Amino acid sequence: MRSTPTLAGALVALLALGVVPARAGHRPNNEVLVGGAISLTGQYAEPAGRQVNSIRLWVDDVNARGGLLGHRIALRLLDDKSDIQTSIKLYEKLITEDKVDVLLAPYSSGITEAVANVTERYKMPIVAYGASASPIWEKGRRYIFNIVAVAETFQKGAVHLARQIGVTKLAVIGQDSLFPRQAGKGAKDWAQRLGIDVVLEENYPTKQTDFTALLQKIQASGAEAVISNSYFADAAAQLRQMRELGLNFKLYSSTVGPALPNFAEQLGATAEYVLGFSLWEPLPGVLGYPGMKEYIERYEKRYGEKPNYHAGGAYGALQVTEAALKHVGSFDSEKLRDALATIEVQTVFGRYKVDAKGMNSHEGLTFQILRGQRRVVWPEKWAETKAELPIPEWSRR
Amino acid sequence: MERSEVRSLYLLAVFLACAYTVPFLVGAWAGTVRFDERWLGNLATVVVAGVMQGGVYAMFALGLTLIFGVMRIINAAHGEMVMMGAYLTWVCFFYLGVDPLLSMVLTLPVAFLFGVAVQKLLLNAVVGQPELTALLITFDLGLTMIYTAELIFTTDFRAIPYAPGTVHLTRTIAVGQNKVISFVLAVVISTAVYLFLKLSRLGKAVRATALNAEVAMVCGVDVRRIYLITTGFGAALAAAGGALVSIQFGFNPETGVVYTLQAFAIIVLGGRGNYMGALIGGLMLAVLENLVSLMVPNGTAVVELAAYGLMIFVLLIRPGGLMGVKEG
Repeated sequence: MRSTPTLAGALVALLALGVVPARAGHRPNNEVLVGGAISLTGQYAEPAGRQVNSIRLWVDDVNARGGLLGHRIALRLLDDKSDIQTSIKLYEKLITEDKVDVLLAPYSSGITEAVANVTERYKMPIVAYGASASPIWEKGRRYIFNIVAVAETFQKGAVHLARQIGVTKLAVIGQDSLFPRQAGKGAKDWAQRLGIDVVLEENYPTKQTDFTALLQKIQASGAEAVISNSYFADAAAQLRQMRELGLNFKLYSSTVGPALPNFAEQLGATAEYVLGFSLWEPLPGVLGYPGMKEYIERYEKRYGEKPNYHAGGAYGALQVTEAALKHVGSFDSEKLRDALATIEVQTVFGRYKVDAKGMNSHEGLTFQILRGQRRVVWPEKWAETKAELPIPEWSRR
Repeated sequence: MERSEVRSLYLLAVFLACAYTVPFLVGAWAGTVRFDERWLGNLATVVVAGVMQGGVYAMFALGLTLIFGVMRIINAAHGEMVMMGAYLTWVCFFYLGVDPLLSMVLTLPVAFLFGVAVQKLLLNAVVGQPELTALLITFDLGLTMIYTAELIFTTDFRAIPYAPGTVHLTRTIAVGQNKVISFVLAVVISTAVYLFLKLSRLGKAVRATALNAEVAMVCGVDVRRIYLITTGFGAALAAAGGALVSIQFGFNPETGVVYTLQAFAIIVLGGRGNYMGALIGGLMLAVLENLVSLMVPNGTAVVELAAYGLMIFVLLIRPGGLMGVKEG
């Protein structure tokens, strides 16, 4: 018992000094541990899975060219099961028990928001690639950076296109969670600015499968177009049920669903004319970012499909992390943080240069599913084709 | 009937009348209720859709209530069995080119055998044990099924594009073809199971076992065999529900959880172990959810609140559920 005061004293001293555990170079085989928890299962598994593809590709790319600052990467990916509480626990574990050297970000705004509290506490920087809700960056956090555009801009193109075809009444619906709500807020702001009346605003529970009543409500509200801040299952259900109920709208736009590669494939003709948003498309000819073509080729060779924006964003964020580490020359997380806040990097995903809050001014694009293909229709500088709107009635398709 | 029983029925009737009036009152106050022809069309559409949805939910809830009634086991893997039915249908459709409805001829026996295997390997060990043991073992089974499905099918969402057309019941009421087909089949299957339980010798043995397993055994009923058949039927009903759900909604290995909760809410509301209760519970929940969604401002966000609120109040008035008998 006599040693207790000494031990306590030592602990207090350690805490007072703010001692960070020693990082990198302490592992067998000169490895550096890169780790994170991401949704391998659960409702976010689909978009997150594509980010995992890019993570694995990047790890192999880096290891092939000699590793991170000469250290071979050992990757530790844990499954947060799309659950916020699980994710918090896993990040605590990754930082305190596994002592990872470089942290990877999780997927979804809700989970990133929760994890940001953990990384902030342990002063471990992350570059988020799966979070678009701006409130995450409006709480004065210092250790979280973003590569993608904020949610509020996701429906900007769709609302502009609605204005172009003379829509005056708009319905804004969305899943009741952080990211869709922010996207809805942005859509509402854009509608106001462009003089469009938002006649219905409604959120639905994350597990909602039947949208019959909501669709009837939209029709009753007199809305001509639907801005839906949705993921895969909900967007798919809404479209199928619109068709079943014979409800016609001039425009339908969904934030996430249509951007997933198998959306058009699973829905067939029902997905035609739908607008979607993409932070990025695998179109080197249109976007022309450095290294983009090679990245797309390698990804496609390995996974049998072209990368979507989830994959592209993850790869871009990892390129940023790599560039920042090179800039710093060590795995010191405080120096890495400073580098991430100031550095400018050209990635396959576009330019990375954050503002004082840590947000990147990334520009996305709006596309339309036409004859089974995603075609960029907005902004005009990147448009591959003119949007085919208003959507033809179901009975004439 | 006891006087307290009669009183609770009156109380229930008054409560239900109020519960279903609330969305109208809120809607009238918020100005979403209009009573012109077009709006009445919207109203009728959601009520019809609710009834059709409720019918399908009631069918797989029937499987859950059957297993509970006979063995006092809460099958927490019921939703996963629904999900299994959906995937079996999907495989038949995309790989074998079999019509989703026709494929039930193939998938229901498979699900029945799966149920029998589950009973033999897992549930026989826990019949008569405290309810928590069975709950844990079926919960585990559900998780195993989810992860197995993820290994085989990945977590991508699947959908079966089947009967996407519209059925116009009147000029203003439209329903999806697939919903009508699902509802009709759900009614046919539920009725068949109900009649089987009421009329056939085997069905009577199942009910006898549910009433009192020991007395049934004394009367010469092979209770172990009844258990096998019950779980087989439960799994087949869930799989049939899966087939009907698969032609309406997208699904992935995780969607089963939603259906477990749905079925559980329905049988608690209707009265555990009661077959008519499952039907009434299913219809009541689905219709109320749709009314709230249609009329209350931002009501879709609170449909679950409304559904579980209804459940709590019904249980307060009648602890055994709508059709339930007094416990104990």
